[in-house]
Amino acid sequence: MSTVYNPGNLPSNDNLNRFSFVIDVKDQMFIRKGKMIAFYGGLSFEAMGTSIVDMLVRHAFNAPKYIHDFVVVQGGGQLILGDNGNDLACYDLDAANMTVRAKNLLAFTKDVICQESTLPGFLTMIGTGKVIASSNGPVHFLELPCRVDEQAVLGWADCPSPSYRYDYEHVKGFVSAVGAVTGFTLSGEEKQVDFTGSGTVLVQSSELGLAGSGVLANIISQLSSLAPTELSMLGTSVQEVMKQQRR
Amino acid sequence: MPAYQQINEKMVEVTLNNEEIFAKKGAMISYQGDVAFSRSFLAGQGIQSMAMRAVTNEGYALMAARGTGKVFYAYDGLFVTIIPVRNETLYVESDVLLAFDARLTAGTMFLGNQGGVQGIVRGAVSGQGLFTTTFQGNGEVAILSDGNAIGLPVTPEVPVCVDPQAYIGHTGNISSSIVTDLNWKTFVGQASGESYQMKFSGSGTVYIQASER
Repeated sequence: MSTVYNPGNLPSNDNLNRFSFVIDVKDQMFIRKGKMIAFYGGLSFEAMGTSIVDMLVRHAFNAPKYIHDFVVVQGGGQLILGDNGNDLACYDLDAANMTVRAKNLLAFTKDVICQESTLPGFLTMIGTGKVIASSNGPVHFLELPCRVDEQAVLGWADCPSPSYRYDYEHVKGFVSAVGAVTGFTLSGEEKQVDFTGSGTVLVQSSELGLAGSGVLANIISQLSSLAPTELSMLGTSVQEVMKQQRR
Repeated sequence: MPAYQQINEKMVEVTLNNEEIFAKKGAMISYQGDVAFSRSFLAGQGIQSMAMRAVTNEGYALMAARGTGKVFYAYDGLFVTIIPVRNETLYVESDVLLAFDARLTAGTMFLGNQGGVQGIVRGAVSGQGLFTTTFQGNGEVAILSDGNAIGLPVTPEVPVCVDPQAYIGHTGNISSSIVTDLNWKTFVGQASGESYQMKFSGSGTVYIQASER
């Protein structure tokens, strides 16, 4: 059952198993920091912002908030990626666009342009090339129209940017209305991401267990636009959330 | 009747045709069609059942999905198993419950009713408390487990012993008892760490997970 791999029998641009993926690196690629688990050949890893790769970065990597999450791998060899036992999958883009949760984006080839999506925490990949992303459990593809819990959205392709949909239909009776205010009758499913039009939505089981600095970077980048009173309100709600999580 | 279909090991799809399904709060991950969600207290059962759940701490937070379409459920990246219930009783812990519908009658059972003092000891040992949730009738229940849920068949000739912390539920006509392996080693800290087991005898299926709570 357990094959011993060498450069000759490693799969090429394919899954080694559910949880790891082998990329044939020819020139340059972007990969997420810390997701390289092994490589054969002469590969070097350069942080972005250093002079050698700056030209490439300026063209392909257009998401400054996430610049510290990714590195450029250069050279020729076979690179094996893994992400904490999450399932990996490769998506081939052909003059297309696909948006993925930034935390789950593991690697993409240099001809794909990476930009921030208008939905915070997501990155949009545009162009032709390969995109490798992880997911908790195998990815399930859904046809539109559908509504998805925010945590379970892995990404979407070929469809208009989604919007939020609030399902407050049940808050009609008096008892329900009182309950909703106190949080007592809420189902926990009031807010979904609504996808309309045509395209495909990628759904995963849960977003648990993936670390990334994207969400934090997003919040910090917007702090400068807050007034002092708003900042103190933010501080209060941060403490509220911390209290709840400790429970 | 709502149709359950396993999408992958961590996701289940339920097709509703102007019907209602009850699921763990926060477990809905997506839906297609015309489905509305609401907090459910009665969960298709009577007031008595609700009161019973409230006082016994088997008070699972449920939400109801009602309408026509498809609903997808998953929770925390845990594995999902659909357990068929065929004119029998399924015993599960309320915290592993993912989804069920009104075809089944849900109840709460005092472990003492099931195995006397032994049953109470079982609840205390496994950290599951003194009560468990029961489902009776003909239908399906989707449950959560850490790793695949493993169904172990039990026959009168072949009883099975399981670790109380790995136990998630059972069906059929089964009685459980606690097997202890307490001896002088336990008290000087040299025990094997497997001092308590639950022994199931009768005929039916015991479900376990490959993880100890």
